[in-house]
Amino acid sequence: MADPISDPIGFSLEIMTSPLFFKVAVFPGLTSIGIIIALFIWLDRKITARVQLRVGPLYASPLGGVLQSFADLIKFAFKELFIPRNADKFFFVAAPVLALIGGAGLVGLIPFTPEWQISNLELGLPAFLAFVTLSPMLILLAGWSANSKYPFIGGLRSLFQQTAYEIPLWLSAIGVVMMAGTMNLIGIVQAQAKPWYVFPGMYIPGWYIIPQALGALLFFITATAEMERIPFDLPEAEPEIIMGWQAEYPGFLFMSAAGASFVRLYAFSALFSVLYLGGWMGPAPVPALLWTAIKIIIVSSLIILLRATFPRVRIDQLLRAGWTYLLGLAFLNIVITYLLVVGPRI
Amino acid sequence: MVAPGLAEIFYYLGFIVVATLVPIIALFLIVTPRDAKPSPMKLETYEAGQMPSGRGRTRFIIQYYPYLLIFVIYDVVAMFLFAWALTLRTLQPPGSGTWPILIFMGVLLVPLAYSIHLASQRDLW
Repeated sequence: MADPISDPIGFSLEIMTSPLFFKVAVFPGLTSIGIIIALFIWLDRKITARVQLRVGPLYASPLGGVLQSFADLIKFAFKELFIPRNADKFFFVAAPVLALIGGAGLVGLIPFTPEWQISNLELGLPAFLAFVTLSPMLILLAGWSANSKYPFIGGLRSLFQQTAYEIPLWLSAIGVVMMAGTMNLIGIVQAQAKPWYVFPGMYIPGWYIIPQALGALLFFITATAEMERIPFDLPEAEPEIIMGWQAEYPGFLFMSAAGASFVRLYAFSALFSVLYLGGWMGPAPVPALLWTAIKIIIVSSLIILLRATFPRVRIDQLLRAGWTYLLGLAFLNIVITYLLVVGPRI
Repeated sequence: MVAPGLAEIFYYLGFIVVATLVPIIALFLIVTPRDAKPSPMKLETYEAGQMPSGRGRTRFIIQYYPYLLIFVIYDVVAMFLFAWALTLRTLQPPGSGTWPILIFMGVLLVPLAYSIHLASQRDLW
């Protein structure tokens, strides 16, 4: 290790070439997050367009407009940043940027493979879910600080929406903890390694999507509600409250606010594939990282398809469904998991 | 030398710090070279094309307030269930933690059902 004072260049070079720096800066860290969000935005627009018999982004590259999001990014970066007159300037600027940072913090916990993970926390799953809890607070902060009516309504809706999905989200994740006996995300994937033998010579992968089918469905629904995507996009709700909490944001801040939702789409798709689809595991010839990528793309495409096909729920419908059906099914899932793990005894 | 678990937490905090610096630097790079031309109309808030009137932070009927109250209590209950779920496989004899958790949930779920029943009667609120 070079001395930082006598040899600053050598020291910086050693840091820049260290594997940890690569992880933080390139993959799975910041650069890859930025590029993947841009690609997710393109995928979102393209799939939605295909479902609605449109074409979607087309001209920004020979490959079906795949560079459209990068062009948008450049356009947003050169827009004028102006802040509404009576807004609380600090929190108005801080809220979307913090939402973006919170999204990146989620990706930092995901094990793409055992080597490709920024931080292998012992309590990775609750850390992820606790970090997620911050985002409705930031949305409320954004809505309040804008000092405008539509963002304010959007922020309050976000708060109510959180009460509806948060507890079922935690309770559906409990099923996985009961099966695996650990909250470490790598440990959860390794617990899914053992295949089930249906009869001799034939086996199916031991992924938790099969014993935890109900839990996976609940997690999928509540995660969609958390990401505020279309069946549950009440805080944005373009036709009702005109993008809600994002209504007053100009240029770069709007890009952060919209991008934060896509970081969470990326992080939640990755978490779903870790919890229920066996993470990086799959038949040998395909490398582990590619399996993770395939699973993330499949899960996120499903979430995007929901956006293209479903109407928006009303907030009282969401609250009632969250506090009755989702909560009841989450408890049912815990009972089923208990019977699977311990057996029919008390 | 720090313990492995603590080192991972430091990596994570370092990642958060770097992730915080990047958007802030980007924000400064974008803001500084611009010539801002604010005008009174541009700085008004958006109210669907009308001139904005009244306060931005208006009084707002919070119809679903009871759900917030229940949420504050039962979000913590989910935490307690995590502690039980983590030790479920290692408890000896198997299932010995079940009666306590059943009593715990029985005590908590009956008030929950009643409070949801009250919360859904929106004319009360």
